[in-house]
Amino acid sequence: MKQSLIGLLLFIVLSLPPVVTLLESIMIIHMHMQMPLLVIAGALFGRYFQIHFPHFWEKWNGNGIPGITLFVIIAVYWSIPRTMDDALTYPSVEVFKFMSLFLLAGVPLYDSWKRLNVTLKNSVFILFTILFLSMGWLYLNVTQQLCNNYLLIDQITLGWGSAAMGVCIAIYLLYTTFTDPSQYE
Amino acid sequence: METALKESYIQKVNRYMGLQREDARISKSYLFVAFVALLLGGILGLLQGLNRAGMLELPYWLNYYQVLTAHGVLLVLVLTAFFTIGYFYAGLSHTLGGLLPKVRKMAWIGFSLKIVGFVFAVIPILLNQASVLYTFYPPMAASPYFYIGLVLIVLGVWMCAFGAFINVAHWRKNNRGQNLPIFSFFATGVFVLLFFGSIPVAIEVFMIIPWAFGWVETINVMLSRTLFWAFGHTLVNIWYLTAVSAWYVIVPKVIGGRRFSDTLTRIVVILLVVMNIPGGFHHQIVDPGISQEVKFLHVFMSLSIAFPSLMTAYAMFSVFERTGRKQGGKGLLGWYKKLPWGDVRFLAPMIAMIAFIVGGAGGIVQSTNQLNQVVHNTMWIVGHFHITVGTSVILTFFGITYWLVPYISNRTLTPKINRLGVIQTFIWTVGMLFMAGSMHYVGLLGAPRRTSYTTYGESATAMGWDPFMILIAIGGVLLIVGVLLQVYAVFHLMFRAPKGKTEFPIAEREEHDTYTPYWTERWGNWIVIMLLLIAMGYVIPIVDFTINAPPGSPPIKTW
Repeated sequence: MKQSLIGLLLFIVLSLPPVVTLLESIMIIHMHMQMPLLVIAGALFGRYFQIHFPHFWEKWNGNGIPGITLFVIIAVYWSIPRTMDDALTYPSVEVFKFMSLFLLAGVPLYDSWKRLNVTLKNSVFILFTILFLSMGWLYLNVTQQLCNNYLLIDQITLGWGSAAMGVCIAIYLLYTTFTDPSQYE
Repeated sequence: METALKESYIQKVNRYMGLQREDARISKSYLFVAFVALLLGGILGLLQGLNRAGMLELPYWLNYYQVLTAHGVLLVLVLTAFFTIGYFYAGLSHTLGGLLPKVRKMAWIGFSLKIVGFVFAVIPILLNQASVLYTFYPPMAASPYFYIGLVLIVLGVWMCAFGAFINVAHWRKNNRGQNLPIFSFFATGVFVLLFFGSIPVAIEVFMIIPWAFGWVETINVMLSRTLFWAFGHTLVNIWYLTAVSAWYVIVPKVIGGRRFSDTLTRIVVILLVVMNIPGGFHHQIVDPGISQEVKFLHVFMSLSIAFPSLMTAYAMFSVFERTGRKQGGKGLLGWYKKLPWGDVRFLAPMIAMIAFIVGGAGGIVQSTNQLNQVVHNTMWIVGHFHITVGTSVILTFFGITYWLVPYISNRTLTPKINRLGVIQTFIWTVGMLFMAGSMHYVGLLGAPRRTSYTTYGESATAMGWDPFMILIAIGGVLLIVGVLLQVYAVFHLMFRAPKGKTEFPIAEREEHDTYTPYWTERWGNWIVIMLLLIAMGYVIPIVDFTINAPPGSPPIKTW
């Protein structure tokens, strides 16, 4: 329960107006800090649902695939520039962003991750590597503003940041592929 | 046959004792250089302090900034790097059953690279062609050979880092499923930081060299400052983590106690390694070109490093109390009296820890934008790093020498040298109280750092700083006495003390310590998280500095 409380507390802190304004004032912080933190808050809070609705998860998310699919859909949806713009323009979309990342991405991610086998886990990593590298390529090469709310320099920064994230996940995949844990563990 | 048997027996004994002569020679050489650097750097520090107080005129062939550069390079680069590597290599050898022959070779290659690099760096300093201070910020430009020297030093450090990784990997292959001995775990953390932390400075130096040679006309000043501090701040935490290793692992043994929770210790190491490099931004908190929002967000990154430090403070005092009570200490604070205050191996690191309470608080002040603006570029900052690296770190290093030097030299610590060590610690503490205390205060009054003696045309404000400058000089005199005593103690223990066996004091875990989870050992994961944090921490300013770069600056010689 402590874990769920920490998740809820993190969600509340992230929802405070000054925190929202600060984190959304910089494009890359909006996408690569606020959004992942909402997912982390949801994942921590996921423990609450696991304890109180064990049968629901067992029935609907037995192998983890439905949950991770929902997570991927939500995560990919929020990486579209237009959706970020809408979240800044329409309060209702902003509310949807907070709730969807917290409840529809974070919570199912927590429940699904342990249920997935290594191949599926690696597939998720590969998917996000491709997503982040492509986003990096896109944001670095597009000369128009993709978001009305952010300047071109913010977009280029997000491009480099996404590419760096893609590279980091790729390093992780290479590390797990080319090291043999059985030699050490 | 007999010779072969005899050799294998000696090897076995050596392995059991954890000390191999070749390994000891490596650590001895590193410590020898470290304490020669302390002597030279200390003398230069005294000259500088006396000159800054207006009490000594430097000869015409010696420039204040030249002395300042040499003092910084000798103490914050040479002394700390050589000590850290010598200390951890001795510990790796002890806890992992000896260094591998190729690792030994790498340590020697690293040693040679660093010495050659140091000679390259020091000659331009002596010729007054590199009085750029140890931070070597562009647009001040030194002779290109100074930077080439720095490249060689970095390569030498990398060689030692990779040597340590190879030895650790070899041990893990032979001890599958076991947690790395705690001392080597600290060493791994420090070498990970040394390697990744020195990458930005290597990039910076490769930007500077063509500029210093005149092959390119200008340099991006903000970018190079940022790269410098990504390294500089990490270096600070490498010293700190080295000191912390002795606090967690060695000090409990010295006082007859046991270590605090093994899992917590490893988490502290991981947190310090993972969160460290982006913390460098608080050194640039009043730099232009970085938006206020970014600076504000970075305050969290910087302050998050205080979290493992608070865990350490709790752990240490808990160990002291528990040990003191076991030895009969009664009442609220009675356990305090049971601690071995007369043992320099405890006293020096203990004062170091107390100094860190003050140093840590000062660090939090400096990470806070508004407070930083009060103290930025004043003597306060100089006071801060004399209380942190000059006291917390160095007194711990001094405390370590009283068992490490006899251990690697096959000698023993005599009561006489112990007494000398206690006196030295006392002198050092009083000297630093005078010096760092006055520096902090005079900084609040506005006295600038990195400035030779001046009265600003007899300005009343500047004249008001003088009494504190004299106190700084008095502190400096006490500290040079401390340096001489310490250097004497180290060389006596290395070459003259009575022969005998000294223990490498590694404390045992608590009897009912919880099981240490194996995930703490997955350094690959921690490194990926660290890289992610570095990328997120640096991407905004670096993209901004590069895309919106000004024309850049030509090399400038200000001295």
